Amino acid sequence: MRDAMNVRKISFPRYAEYNCAFKYVFEEALEVRCITPPAITKRTMELGAKHSPEFVCTPFKITLGSMIEALEAGADTLMMVHGLCRLGYYGELQEQILHDLGYHFDFINLSEYDMSKKKEYIKIVKRINPKVHLARFVAKFMEGVRMVEYLDEITAIYYKNCGFDPTGQYKAAYQRFLTDMYTARTRSDIEDGYRSVRQAFQAVPLNRPVRPLRVGVVGEFYTVMDAFSNLELEQKLADMGVEIHRWMNVTHQFLHNHGQKNMAVKIKNLCTYEMGPTATANIWYAKECAERGFDGLVHIKSAGCTPEIDVMPVLQTISRDYKIPVLYLTYDSQSSDVGMMTRLEAFYDMIHMRKKVL
Amino acid sequence: MEAKKTPVVGLPRAMLYYRYRTLWHAFFDELGIKTVVSGPTDREILDRGTSLAIDEACLSLKIFLGHAASLVGKCDYILIPRVSNFGRHRNMCTRFEALPDLAKNVFRESGQRFLTYDIDVLQKKNEAAAFQALGQSLGFPARAVRKAYKLAKKAEQAKYKALVREQEQLYKTDGLKILIAAHSYVADDPYIGWTVTSYLKKAGVTPIRADIVDRAGAVGCSPQISPTCKWEMSREIIGSIAMHCDKVDGIILLSAFPCGPDSMVNELISRRVKRVPVLNLVLDSQTGTAGVETRLESFVDIIRFKEGLL
Repeated sequence: MRDAMNVRKISFPRYAEYNCAFKYVFEEALEVRCITPPAITKRTMELGAKHSPEFVCTPFKITLGSMIEALEAGADTLMMVHGLCRLGYYGELQEQILHDLGYHFDFINLSEYDMSKKKEYIKIVKRINPKVHLARFVAKFMEGVRMVEYLDEITAIYYKNCGFDPTGQYKAAYQRFLTDMYTARTRSDIEDGYRSVRQAFQAVPLNRPVRPLRVGVVGEFYTVMDAFSNLELEQKLADMGVEIHRWMNVTHQFLHNHGQKNMAVKIKNLCTYEMGPTATANIWYAKECAERGFDGLVHIKSAGCTPEIDVMPVLQTISRDYKIPVLYLTYDSQSSDVGMMTRLEAFYDMIHMRKKVL
Repeated sequence: MEAKKTPVVGLPRAMLYYRYRTLWHAFFDELGIKTVVSGPTDREILDRGTSLAIDEACLSLKIFLGHAASLVGKCDYILIPRVSNFGRHRNMCTRFEALPDLAKNVFRESGQRFLTYDIDVLQKKNEAAAFQALGQSLGFPARAVRKAYKLAKKAEQAKYKALVREQEQLYKTDGLKILIAAHSYVADDPYIGWTVTSYLKKAGVTPIRADIVDRAGAVGCSPQISPTCKWEMSREIIGSIAMHCDKVDGIILLSAFPCGPDSMVNELISRRVKRVPVLNLVLDSQTGTAGVETRLESFVDIIRFKEGLL
């Protein structure tokens, strides 16, 4: 077997629940050790905010905090992705900040590679583990992708229905599924976990009203998905008895609709060009929700997120045209949810009363 | 185009106007199109823009919307280009991608028409093609448009070269020299950027603009400080700092609150450029200049003290 001492201990910052798939790809496909950073807490946020520039967007602060916690947990390699907004510059600045703090580590910054070329991907794989067998890597990597698809599918079903289960079995089944994914070592582990959560979901009797309140959630890529970052908005709203619909996730954005394919057609009257990395998808989905007669929309972004601030005037247009209420939420590095709860309750009361009247 | 009335195009004096004014004016003049430019930024324009913008938007966008609002109804079209990128790792802030559609949604009720061109080199749309499409959409024959763009580009390059030469001369002057690292729409704006330059001049310091530089050379130099920086305008400034930081006594990183790229790039510059004193100055829509002047005064004092001049 491989020499356990020489294996790279790689870590990627906490990102919603996708770390189970990152772990699977690192450990099974790339055959290195994966240090999954601890779940994000107030401490992570404070650590990140302390060492970050003041006006940078909140995901930068959270991922920086998560990187520090990963280094504390023993990681020797960190990884950061590339991106079209400020995200593409996260890596270099975070590396500099961590070096200035005195940490020693290897940093794999995907912004340094030309990600439009397939050859570069092989370079990255070979850099992480030079001994990796490429064909085997691809097969295992695709299993990781499958895990992401299952995770997104189950998460969507969960938030759509969990508000109508008073027993708590639904939540327990979802938690069990997450544990299954974090501990999966083989393809059959993934498939078994998926099958059993589907069965468990079906076994729970739901008391869903005939016409439940439906709310669509759109927003910035990180904050909209990461439950800690958005102060568990989806769970809180669902617990009031609302069906939550969110299109934005890794599967939809990257795997099934690469480049937000063909969405621009439907929103031609609202915007001519692509306004930002996730703008087309968010506008498209907001319009879709409005046309399907949803009761409200929630727009989530981190403080200072440039592309999403620019999307807001378009959402205001949709709101006026379709008479659909939109709740705009901005998340900074605060850790108390009292203020958000008040706004959420007011929003719920409003859409609830509207539904009765209309 | 003889019989048809030529349209009047409005140019908001904000954002990319400062980068492209020569090109725009020359291009429209060549085609015989009348242009109107909004007045210099003042309190009224800023207040108007602030009321139109989402409150979290950057100061520059608020100013821009104020300028655009002052042109509504005064021209047939308002020119708002979409500039996404000039190639790989040569992007613009996503705000410049969103600007035309953003304005269309903000001014939807007013019935104002907009004129736009799209530069997105990664999608194979370069500047020449963008202007060609722009001119032809206004009903001019392809040849006339091609000629107008060619002449306008020549005029722009000549003007810009002269400007760069002028700045290069400033590096050779005696006395304290401070490099102002700011986007052109911040440094050139009379309401925000000029408060800084005029104070420095009064204090006997020569302010030098980092963004007025041989652009291709600066972009080539930018990896010396930041290899993965991907914003074209930030790369020009970073490259300019790399080229000139030994020739100046201090650097002022001037940005508009809360500029996305600057929030990160300026942090990186202050962590990597150690040879000269660096002041990180963020401008907001304050009414007085006293706060800014105090900080500039102390910065100039520090430099003078350091060099034994005080």
